[in-house]
Amino acid sequence: MTPELLQNLSADNFWPAIAPEVMLGVLALLLLVAEIVLPKKRHDVIPLISLSGLLGVFLGILLNFKPVGLGETTFNGLLRHSEGSQFLRAFFVLSALLVTILGIIALKKQKMPKTEFFSIVLVITAALMLLGQAHNFILLFVALETVTVGFYILVSYTRTNPLSLEAGLKYLILGALSSALLLFGIVLLYGVAGNPSALGATANPMDFDALRVFLAHNPDNFLASVGIVLVLSGIAFKIGAVPFQIWVPDVYQGAPTPVTAFLAVASKAAGFALLLILAGVFSSYSHLVISVLSIMAAATIVFGNFAALTQHNVKRLIGLSGVSHAGYLMLGVIAALTPGGGSQAVGAVFFYLFAYLLASFTVFGVMTHLAGPNDSDQELDHYQDLAKTHPFLAGVLAVGLGSLAGIPPLAGFMGKLFIFVAAFKAGLYGLLAVAVVGVVVSIYYYFGWIKAAFFPHWRPPLPTGSVADSRPVRSAVSLPFGLLLGSLAVASIILGFYQGQLGAWLLGR
Amino acid sequence: MSDTLFHLFAVLTVACALGVVLNKNAVASALCLLVCLTGIAGLFVLLDAFLLAVLTVFVYAGAVVALFLFIIMLLDMQGGNRKPFTKSSIVAGAAAAGLLCTGLYSFLVRGHIESPVLATTKVGGSSLRAYAELLFTTYLLPVQIVGFLLLIAMLGVIVLSKKFENLEDIK
Repeated sequence: MTPELLQNLSADNFWPAIAPEVMLGVLALLLLVAEIVLPKKRHDVIPLISLSGLLGVFLGILLNFKPVGLGETTFNGLLRHSEGSQFLRAFFVLSALLVTILGIIALKKQKMPKTEFFSIVLVITAALMLLGQAHNFILLFVALETVTVGFYILVSYTRTNPLSLEAGLKYLILGALSSALLLFGIVLLYGVAGNPSALGATANPMDFDALRVFLAHNPDNFLASVGIVLVLSGIAFKIGAVPFQIWVPDVYQGAPTPVTAFLAVASKAAGFALLLILAGVFSSYSHLVISVLSIMAAATIVFGNFAALTQHNVKRLIGLSGVSHAGYLMLGVIAALTPGGGSQAVGAVFFYLFAYLLASFTVFGVMTHLAGPNDSDQELDHYQDLAKTHPFLAGVLAVGLGSLAGIPPLAGFMGKLFIFVAAFKAGLYGLLAVAVVGVVVSIYYYFGWIKAAFFPHWRPPLPTGSVADSRPVRSAVSLPFGLLLGSLAVASIILGFYQGQLGAWLLGR
Repeated sequence: MSDTLFHLFAVLTVACALGVVLNKNAVASALCLLVCLTGIAGLFVLLDAFLLAVLTVFVYAGAVVALFLFIIMLLDMQGGNRKPFTKSSIVAGAAAAGLLCTGLYSFLVRGHIESPVLATTKVGGSSLRAYAELLFTTYLLPVQIVGFLLLIAMLGVIVLSKKFENLEDIK
């Protein structure tokens, strides 16, 4: 080993550039050590260590939002840091923070090991943050697999519940299938672009810049098109777009509620981050990408909304409504690809994701609090008379659901508005019509939920020990958790009226 | 010579792959997979990808299939009775197979890679040393991530399979 090699090594692998991810990795290890070192009585501290670490990293990212080297690549071109990736970092850490809080509440109701949950959440978050900065297919695949393997475990975490195990198995098999599709696509692109006799061939076809140059030289290569479609399919699985949505209802129902929230928000956001990155790489094939995504988006919006109409289990309902949200977000991505949509559409997608995070965690927070010992059994009926017994929870739930439905003046409405404006500017009138119909349909099932919570039901006189008694016991909300739910709801309301710097920054890029 | 060997390995691989799917006995299926992977390793050797061939034999044929066999024997799997196919599953299967064949056909007809002039191709990526150097320099970060991937996989195995009896007194 020569000194020059070591010097090159330290120059190429600039670790401070990924300090937040490294910190989360170290924190994950620290939690495991803490479990061994601390006496059993003090194990309650472990999630708090995780929380304070996440909070520190979150504040660190916000305070140092524009570090040196923004817009440059590090790690031999494996990573590319941009303002968008900084936003995603903060986004993922914030969702990990909220998932950890929900996890503390949900795991109290289960007899399960606790520390591993928080540790795995941290590793997944770090991998998600790297995904948002991926600039090379090898890094993309490795980080994506870390996320997916982590989710296999988290989904089947409450293993005493057969539905959770079933969900884990389904996610494992279908996730492996989607990874295979993605990998096959990557291999095809690698093979085509690495062929020395092709025009614009590159020695490093895994690199996004080199691949973009190759694709620009060969605008209608059949094998490259097949590769692109396969890569898009692999990512469509992560965001739950039709026809890769088949796992969504069962996995969302079976997974512990905090994990469902993590899947719905962070995993979906990572899929869209990848879609936006890869759309740039595949820009010379944008006609192909746009047509594939358009068909998927229309099918996703229609399927998600109509399938959610008939659901009685709230976790399935929110899963299928999440499918339709993926459709609206895809509309934004298509607008970003179309000339005329441009970077404002990218900002609209990010804004929508942020509004979705606020609203989703409000709803998932209420769900986690109200869930009984059987986490999969959360029916619409369980929300009866919520407004009478817990007016605060019912109010927060109404704000969250209203934001998801896109009711003015909440943040979800502004998110939809920005996306629809971007789509209108890009001239996507057909898809826009489908999306508007989808929004109207979605109001029906979101308000069905609100109705269950707010309006008194006529109950047939039933013998004791039947439906009415199957409802889990409702406990009072603790003050810190109430404050959290309240601030999430207030943030949804404020962001609807005033987008401030966030909106100006996202839309003005 | 190499053509004959290619045909030999190709037939072996495809026949054994069919054997994996069609065999009713799980142990025989796993052994077919073993031979299939060996055939693939042979194909890699013909392509001068020696390292890949050795890794396939070591990792897949050696470790993974041995693991499969252990688990099959641990669970004492019997062949069991298969449910006969229903009409709808036959129609769906045939449609899927038809679509797959159409896709493969168009792939074969339209997908064309110009074979490079071999003399100009850079050789040197196949030695173990070159791989190792790349892993520890260019791809250091992915290797680290894989480390964490294995860590959480291990945590997952513990969480999903260990008996937790003393959890109640934690509360």
